[in-house]
Amino acid sequence: CARLESGHGYVPEPSALEGVVVGRDTKDIIGLTLGQPGTRGIVDDLGWYYVRSDYERFLWRAPVEVDRQVVAITFDEAGVVRNIERFGLEEGRVVALNRRVTDANTQGISFLRQLFGNLGNFDPATLINEN
Amino acid sequence: IGFGIGDAAAQTRVSSIIVEGTQRIPDATVIDLAAITPGSVLSDGEINDVLQRINASGLFQSVVIVPVGSGLRIEVVERPTINRINIEGNDRLSDETLLGVVTSEPRRVYSPTQAESDARSIVEAYVESGRLAARVEPRIIRRTDNRVDLVFEVSEGRVVENERISFVGNRAFSDRRLRRVIGTKQAGFLRSIIRADSFVPERIAFDRQALSDFYQSRGYVDFRVLDVTSEFSRERDSSFVTFTVREGQQFSVGAVSVTSEFPDANIDSYRDALRVRSGETWNPSRIDEQIERLERLALQQGFDFLRVEPRVTRNARDLTLDVEFALVRGQRVFIERIDVEGNTTTLDRVIRRQFDPVEGDPFNPREIRNSAERIRALGYFADVDVQTRQGSAADQIIVDVDVEEQATGSLTFGGTFSTDTGFGLVVEFSERNFLGRGQFVGVQIQTGAEDRDISLNFREPALFDRDLSFGLSITDRTTDFSNAAYETQITSISPSLGFPISENGRLSLKYTLANEDIFNVTGDASQIIAAEAGDLIRSSFGYDYTLDLLRGGLNPNRGVLFSFGQEVAGLGGDTEYLKSTARIVAQRDIWNEEVTLRAILEGGVVAAPSGGTTRITDRFFLSSRQVRGFSSRGIGPRDVGSMESDVLGGNKYVAARFEADFPLGLPEEFGITGGVFFDMGSLWGLDNTDGDLTVDDDFELRSAIGFSLLWDTPVGPLRMNFSNPIKSNPLDDERSFDFTISTAF
Amino acid sequence: CGMFGGSEEERPLESFSAEELYKRAEFELESEGDPESAARFFGEVERLYPYSEWARRALVMQAFSYHRATDYEASRGSAQRFLTTYPADQDAPWAQYLLALSYYDQIDDVGRDQGLTFQALQSFREVIERYPDSEYARSSILKFDLAFDHLGGKEMEIGRYYLKRGHYIAAVNRFRVVVEDFQTTTHTPEALHRLVEAYLALGLTDEAQTAGAILGFNFQSTPWYQDSFVLLTGQGLRPDATGSNWLATIYRQVVRGEWL
Repeated sequence: CARLESGHGYVPEPSALEGVVVGRDTKDIIGLTLGQPGTRGIVDDLGWYYVRSDYERFLWRAPVEVDRQVVAITFDEAGVVRNIERFGLEEGRVVALNRRVTDANTQGISFLRQLFGNLGNFDPATLINEN
Repeated sequence: IGFGIGDAAAQTRVSSIIVEGTQRIPDATVIDLAAITPGSVLSDGEINDVLQRINASGLFQSVVIVPVGSGLRIEVVERPTINRINIEGNDRLSDETLLGVVTSEPRRVYSPTQAESDARSIVEAYVESGRLAARVEPRIIRRTDNRVDLVFEVSEGRVVENERISFVGNRAFSDRRLRRVIGTKQAGFLRSIIRADSFVPERIAFDRQALSDFYQSRGYVDFRVLDVTSEFSRERDSSFVTFTVREGQQFSVGAVSVTSEFPDANIDSYRDALRVRSGETWNPSRIDEQIERLERLALQQGFDFLRVEPRVTRNARDLTLDVEFALVRGQRVFIERIDVEGNTTTLDRVIRRQFDPVEGDPFNPREIRNSAERIRALGYFADVDVQTRQGSAADQIIVDVDVEEQATGSLTFGGTFSTDTGFGLVVEFSERNFLGRGQFVGVQIQTGAEDRDISLNFREPALFDRDLSFGLSITDRTTDFSNAAYETQITSISPSLGFPISENGRLSLKYTLANEDIFNVTGDASQIIAAEAGDLIRSSFGYDYTLDLLRGGLNPNRGVLFSFGQEVAGLGGDTEYLKSTARIVAQRDIWNEEVTLRAILEGGVVAAPSGGTTRITDRFFLSSRQVRGFSSRGIGPRDVGSMESDVLGGNKYVAARFEADFPLGLPEEFGITGGVFFDMGSLWGLDNTDGDLTVDDDFELRSAIGFSLLWDTPVGPLRMNFSNPIKSNPLDDERSFDFTISTAF
Repeated sequence: CGMFGGSEEERPLESFSAEELYKRAEFELESEGDPESAARFFGEVERLYPYSEWARRALVMQAFSYHRATDYEASRGSAQRFLTTYPADQDAPWAQYLLALSYYDQIDDVGRDQGLTFQALQSFREVIERYPDSEYARSSILKFDLAFDHLGGKEMEIGRYYLKRGHYIAAVNRFRVVVEDFQTTTHTPEALHRLVEAYLALGLTDEAQTAGAILGFNFQSTPWYQDSFVLLTGQGLRPDATGSNWLATIYRQVVRGEWL
């Protein structure tokens, strides 16, 4: 019973996907039948991507992505569907994230400021010595 | 406002502007307001626009524009500024409340219209508190330098009270029953104290709603409040209110069914989740309850965009309403962004990780509400306001989380008082939201007459940013109780991990390494303790499983919590034992969530391996919070033979508490509610009674009954228990009064 | 509530002239170093002599004193009142600048409330657009960029939060906001590299190539480009990507509060 499932993201139902005709349907039709994509291509908005992933989490371990469906719809310059690709977890690569950060230019709340910010605050539990 | 234009030349070429009459406000400001480009030609209409623009600034009492020679002369009279504002003649409502309503401010420009509207809002404040006859006069006193003092003279007049409230057209319920339903009360003998009996127009609207809720929740679907009439007595100090109602027929539930647009949703599971039976009296809130249950189930089964739509068909002949719960495909809407604002101390991730949904996920209002609840439960914020608004497209929603921080730590140097060990000193620093990371850090050094306690606690709720809590506590406790002829010192270090293993179940694992020393055992102590004296190492590993269905279950106002834990000591340590504890809490809100019934049953057994004996530091004791009416360590086996007749603790214990919390009818703002309780429990079983008869360690049930006052202080919920033991052993230390910071249970 | 008896401390102030009061307030501010009481005195000048040239000067000085006393709300109030009463005054740019500073100085670590940053940006834009040639315009532009960079930092921080948890779509959308709306900030190269990481994790290699190309074209010299190059071409593994045992991770995340 210790396995916890959770799902994120959205891909159109297979039945709706079959209905799409390459070379004819335009962005607006796709937008209506399949719904807006999760994200779009960076530069020319010619790629629409839908992603749905299912995670499983066991005891204290981090949630593991056990299944992923990616639907990539690419359009030509005129906005007509050029190609539909579907792929899953296997095509993804396990990428080691870079730990470096472009540091923000202001400092956060320091320990001393928080410590003395509490001076005089009063926590009732300390008064009631519940041994 | 004065208004005039000089001899109307059709066109005026404006090459220069002269401003006259300004005192405080520099000419440049007037010219800036006039916004005339030098050298332009203005018609009369345009000059009038200039006039309006200057007037609109609200800074001037009168503005006159005279075309002269090569330009315009603008003559202005500035409005006086307010030097000071005062309110006189008010008695019922204080200056602060009334000044809060006034918009004019000292050092700002005095405007008669603003003063008039302030006077009206003061009258409004009086009407809201039932004094309809209040009158307010704004008056100004001239000061030097065109300054004025603004005075609001108030005459409050008498309170208008309801002499008689009556109903017309009610057959099913009597006037007296209906009077209990509505907020407005008939003036009784306490009339001067109780506010609810004064006649207030807004409250009548509230009463109409209360009446229709009352009837509709009892099946009268066609109920209408036709009219509410109120007449005043001559002296205008009492009124007669009459409600005319039309009840209509009482309906009950007909056929109940579930239909679904989702092919792979298993309809039976939804049908089983329903708790409404046909033949039951129709009650709209019960129907909403079912919708909530089905939508919760859909959330658990992970269906996106599922909405439950009730379709009601009415059959007038047999006065029943059939209801069909249709699982329909809601509109396809997504979460575009989750924006957090107002978190001046707390890090964004600490709030964001309370959200199950992620940006880009389908939008489910219930999940957003659950997440908002979790953010409030963090306890770092005075106010959490989660709103959704339209995103960049029709099907995109932006979730705005607006939090207001509050102090989450305390730094105290002071005295403590405990009903068990008397006065003591404490130096304490604790921070529940350390550096805004959601971590808990607590350092406490406390010395009392009979005990000394140094403890350091740390807790990280999301280790590796997962739902995995890590805790570490290092404590050093020495005790020298007056009623015990021995001293103990326990120094322990204990890390722990906690993580969810099911929707509402959580497992925590804990390791403890402790040095337990029992020393200074005087001659008066019982030989049992003398046998246990010594400095031993305890190394134990324990788990605790808690299933919390108090709030998470399908029914929001009924729930149960079950927890079971075991601890094994040995693992390289000297002392060896197996300790198991269990606890069940059942809670139920009744009488539309006014009264809470709660039953708590807990028990535990500790056993040393065959032939071995447990030590006093590992045995159970019953605290005054587990069985009220007795002081901590006041119950349990005693060695009557020894001089001190110390309490020896027990290998087995059981305790049961039955409580009811209910409002006392005091006004909301006091925050005081009442409660009654019945506790019973026992502590028994020792290994090494080694035959001498002076130790009585068999099962003996103690019980006590009492009432408590719960006071919701701004600093924390305080619970004062007044108890009276019914069954007790003559040797027990009884206690009739006790106060604790009442955690939930 | 009594009639208008002025309190004890009031009466002597009435006897001072506007200039003396003003000088006293300036004295409190400069030499006494007590901006709080300086602000109070400036307030008195304005209240007792509402028509003098001193009153106008005192109002903006009051805003400055409150700012010096880090009472940002009061400073904002006084600055706002100055701007409504004397919009065309030669001190107006200074008042507008003080208003913007009152938000800016409250900006906190990027992880925290960004409502203030947004308001600081708007006030600085006001200074830049309405008083372009005032001496405050230049430092406003500088602070505007810093605040803007700060807002970009906030988007990055949320993007990294989702990236680390494997919610690539949410991360991509946040980093795209930085690349599109915050190009002038220092975060753009990192945003492009994060896009490469996220798209590769999703298997959308051509989008990753596009992001890498933009990064290469505009930010060739940054370390981020090297990292993307390694990811995209697969040659040479970065040293720090491998070794990181769980104890080091606990120290970094729990004690130092870092993100990964």
